[in-house]
Amino acid sequence: MPSASIAAPRTGLVIDRASHTIRLTRDVDAPRAEVFEAWTSPEHVSAWWDPAGEPLAECVIDLRPGGAFRFVARSHPEMPFAGVYREIAPPGRLIFEALGATGRVILREADGRTHMTVEIACRSEAELDQFLRMGVDAGTARTLDNLVAYARRFAGAA
Amino acid sequence: MEIHSRPADPLSFAFRALGDPTRRAILARLAGGEASVSELMEPFKLSQPAISKHLKVLERAGLIEGGRDAQKRPRRLAPRAMKDVADWIEPFRQQWESRLNNLDAHLKKMRNQEK
Repeated sequence: MPSASIAAPRTGLVIDRASHTIRLTRDVDAPRAEVFEAWTSPEHVSAWWDPAGEPLAECVIDLRPGGAFRFVARSHPEMPFAGVYREIAPPGRLIFEALGATGRVILREADGRTHMTVEIACRSEAELDQFLRMGVDAGTARTLDNLVAYARRFAGAA
Repeated sequence: MEIHSRPADPLSFAFRALGDPTRRAILARLAGGEASVSELMEPFKLSQPAISKHLKVLERAGLIEGGRDAQKRPRRLAPRAMKDVADWIEPFRQQWESRLNNLDAHLKKMRNQEK
């Protein structure tokens, strides 16, 4: 699990309203073939997908166009992250559909490091707003959990 | 969030309101637009009194608003709650930050195991 690093690497987040897309960016210290592997094999995805840091309760990956995937976190078994792969192009690109949006993982390598872009493209601006409101990967409950956590932090700071 | 300006212990109202999956689902529905009690009865397959009870809890928590006529007046997310929506992006970003921190740590472990 991630150590309590003080200078943690940062994840960039951009909301591109024109293309209804949420864009996350991150640099990781590994070649992109390894990053692609980490995104596409169940043993690896299971280890890192849950933000809580727990291994997934269930992680099924049928890695082919049209193949289904299903990630179930222990903390939220009622809301699996499930969808279908659209394009599998190692080591640079992975495209899938989940929760009514299109996900793209784009990996660019430079000097053994990988610049990773994760895009979540919604079908309209209204759906983008809905997506942000509801939380992308776990729907309402997760977002409202976040709200509760946020409120707690706020209360703690007051 | 102006929690100090709200009546006694609003946080416990909010936690109580958010602690129920049906009420979270009602909030999700209202995030997509206002709805009357009868419009909420249909998707949730609940009686009018049951829906009204949930709405009352959400109203007390300041998350939704509407008229006094629980049977007809449409309910909607409270403007304050809507304003807080912007703040929800930050937890969303942090969620991905945690996830990608995990990925980072996992990639390091993968590399170490190769050696």
